[in-house]
Amino acid sequence: MVMSTLVRPWETANIVGPKNALTLAPENFAKLAKTAKRPLIVMGAHATKQGVGLTNLCDYAVELARLLKAPIVASPGVFSKFKRDADVPVFGIGIEDLVNRLKEKQWKGLDGHGNYDLVFFLGGIYYFQSLMLATLKHFAPHIKTISVDRFYQPNANFSFINMDESKWKDGLYLMLQQLGGKR
Amino acid sequence: MGGASARLAIDELRSSFATVKGLEILIGKVIAEEWDEVMGPTPYPSVTTLRSWDHRLLERYEPFYSPLCDMCCLCTYGKCDLTAGKKGACGIDIGTQQGKIVLIACLMGAATHTTHSKHILEYLIKKRGRDHPIDLGDEVQLEAPIIRTVAGIRPRTLGELEEVVDYLSSQITQLLSATATGQEENYLDFESKALHAGMLDNVALEVSDVAQISGLGFPKGDAEVSLIDIGMGVVDGSKPVILCVGHNVAPGSETLDYLEKQGLYGQVEVAGICCTAHDLARYRPGTKIIGPLSRQLMFVKSGAADVMIIDQECVRTDSVSEANMMGTRVIATIDQICAGLPDFTFASRETIVEKLVSGEVMGVLVRDPVKVAEVAVRAAMAIAPRRRRELVSRDREILAKVPKCTNCEECRRACPNDLEIDEAVYSAHLGDLQPLADIYDYCMNCGRCVSACPRGIPLLDLIELAAREKIRNEKFKIRAGRGPIRDTEIRNVGRPIVMGEIPGVIAFAGCSNYPQGSRELAEMADEFARRRYIVVASGCSAMDIARYRDADGQTLYEKYPGDFDAGCIANVGSCVANAHIIGAAIKIANIFAKRPLRANFEEIADYILNRVGAVAIAWGAQHQKAASIATGANRLGIPVILGPHGAKYRRAYLGRGDKFEKWNAYNVRTGGITYVGPAPEHLVYVAETKEEAMVTAARLVIRPSDTSKGRLIKLSNYLDLHRKLYGTLPEDFHLFVRTESDLPLGMKDELLTILREKKWQPKEIPELGSTLLERLVPKRA
Repeated sequence: MVMSTLVRPWETANIVGPKNALTLAPENFAKLAKTAKRPLIVMGAHATKQGVGLTNLCDYAVELARLLKAPIVASPGVFSKFKRDADVPVFGIGIEDLVNRLKEKQWKGLDGHGNYDLVFFLGGIYYFQSLMLATLKHFAPHIKTISVDRFYQPNANFSFINMDESKWKDGLYLMLQQLGGKR
Repeated sequence: MGGASARLAIDELRSSFATVKGLEILIGKVIAEEWDEVMGPTPYPSVTTLRSWDHRLLERYEPFYSPLCDMCCLCTYGKCDLTAGKKGACGIDIGTQQGKIVLIACLMGAATHTTHSKHILEYLIKKRGRDHPIDLGDEVQLEAPIIRTVAGIRPRTLGELEEVVDYLSSQITQLLSATATGQEENYLDFESKALHAGMLDNVALEVSDVAQISGLGFPKGDAEVSLIDIGMGVVDGSKPVILCVGHNVAPGSETLDYLEKQGLYGQVEVAGICCTAHDLARYRPGTKIIGPLSRQLMFVKSGAADVMIIDQECVRTDSVSEANMMGTRVIATIDQICAGLPDFTFASRETIVEKLVSGEVMGVLVRDPVKVAEVAVRAAMAIAPRRRRELVSRDREILAKVPKCTNCEECRRACPNDLEIDEAVYSAHLGDLQPLADIYDYCMNCGRCVSACPRGIPLLDLIELAAREKIRNEKFKIRAGRGPIRDTEIRNVGRPIVMGEIPGVIAFAGCSNYPQGSRELAEMADEFARRRYIVVASGCSAMDIARYRDADGQTLYEKYPGDFDAGCIANVGSCVANAHIIGAAIKIANIFAKRPLRANFEEIADYILNRVGAVAIAWGAQHQKAASIATGANRLGIPVILGPHGAKYRRAYLGRGDKFEKWNAYNVRTGGITYVGPAPEHLVYVAETKEEAMVTAARLVIRPSDTSKGRLIKLSNYLDLHRKLYGTLPEDFHLFVRTESDLPLGMKDELLTILREKKWQPKEIPELGSTLLERLVPKRA
């Protein structure tokens, strides 16, 4: 894991405070991801707007979820883009509603088996996602968050740095490879 | 109750005890009963009078905080790091500090509206007299529902509104003091105070609009008011142009009066931006509306205005410098915005006109609306011909800066909506202006990209240039703000709303800080009107709903009637006219359900929360005033859905549908505790997308009091929207099904199968409804 104090939030003025996300290189992702006992993937509303050469970020998330054995929560705006026959559970829940549940340590989770310990954020509206991560940062010490979007999210525990599209795309596929998936 | 002071004068009194001459006794208030409704329990509530109601709400709808910043910088101990449980030097934690910030925001809003109401009231009292009657027309007998419910008075004249404004000022001062270091220390009590500030705000809205409708002859609930021209392209640039920006109509309405008196009406264009525009159009339908706040900077930068009159609220802080850069003269008119300009209030009109026309001064402060009117007209007429000659095209100069772009991305990173400005500038460099023209539709005119550009490229000018043809043709129609909802309309719709047979009231309110341009707002309004909800709109939202045409080329105001009825879209007016939307909910409780409203806030709020399916969507909420209006609505039991930028208010009020114990209420008939379901589930919710907002709105209009027929209609819309926009049925619909009769007929079999899988059991429907207030349960129960 590489730490850097020089990385700036993507939205320049989004300076949040003394505690900022540790930067995460895609090659270190798997090591971190494998520590999760109850992982969850959260797909934000901009998922379908991020081309990056990926034909469909939703399909990517399904592949990631399959490898992580994690359910997906999709923002209602993108929920309909997931194939109904996806072999991983996909829930259409408003992100604010979800985060409100996540911050309760005793929440039973989407399957009734308890809250999650590592939550991956992907495809979010930058400023909105930043604030949802802020809620978890302050009020959900039982959860670690990872932002794997193109842009640095200081309120996450771990975040990619700001990347251009091709590097980000390469990074996302590297993550799959490291988790044992096929490119 | 008339709250007038009484003076008792005795010229000479002889008694065995003493002889008195020239005695005068001033008695503070005389209660002159002209209203047979009994005084309720909470006249002029203090900061803590309604605290128990607030805490009842907050127990169900817990504050959900999203800190925008992890630090507190409000005193010299700071900066204090409050991250994740750390305390500041004063002992505050992040949750409490967020509550404090929310209260401060609501106070900013409430103070702004209160000042507005004070200014407009003073102006109208001076113009019409203290005894000028409050008159909202023959069909509006319940003319000030919020004031009646909160203050317990029934104001008959403009003068009687003054004591309401005094009350507001005193309460706001007390609340503000609670935000100082060493004062309030509990987040729930900060929220209770924010709810109080919101309520005060709503009262201030009503004072302003009731006063200006009565004093300036605005429409009085007429659904078929005039259609007004709106858009960036509606101004006739061949005439002198006066632009009014802000919220206080007085300088603008005086300008229109002056033009009429001088026989110049129609020879000078008077156009408005933001709520002043709404109110000028309510005053004279010939006024042109440029658009909401989000059009301000670009229009000012276009140089189309010869004179710009600024009053108060939502005026850009750089308005004077931007206007002056284009040669536009500025007249500031209100104490709240002196704009660094020399005070010419007491100078002669000739002097002011001469100095403005000569350019010796490019702006003045004139705190006299009558004088402003004459000065603005004379200056505009003198300046216009010369300015037209001077306004040479700057296009070549603007385009010449495009090659300076280094694609550093600073513009995009400064953009609140992450618009790909850098890519569009690159395309412009290659000769293709279309991407910049496309950005125009999504740009909210904040100008942050211009400030961020290290190469000094005038990006907003560039966007304007690229979209010029589009801007020139931007001409739409908006129905003028109609003002109050008539009592007769409430009589027609009260029952179907409470029973649920009209699926709900959807109010589009708030500013224009949208995540993806204004079109989404119009699409939402169209969808709900088509589904026969009652759609109402105000402020910037009402304007943006007009900036869209359907396939037949009609704006929504041309397509739908302006009544307060199912399948209509009613524009009530400027943001102070939000009082009529909130007031309509109160009127339903009073006119339809006969609930006493005089100083009876808690009961009315309980009624609305449990029975009136009204929801506001503030899709572009930006200003602190939007926060205070919404928080006032929340205290009355009206949920509000915010667009994603609304998360920056830092607080939502979220319920938990999965926590069944949270949704118990008293059965009014039996007095027992009964489960009423998560209806409504949230009081403030931030939706990420238009789709989420629409589905959430259809869910939040559900109320415990719905009849089975009403619940069936509401569920039909919820299920259908969910299926249409998400592709599936909602996971939580079983929470809203009480008996099989609630189920939409066409889907009954499918839904029953799911209900059986979920082990659903029928639930009691309280015969006489439910309440959160134990005191409302009859003793025999």
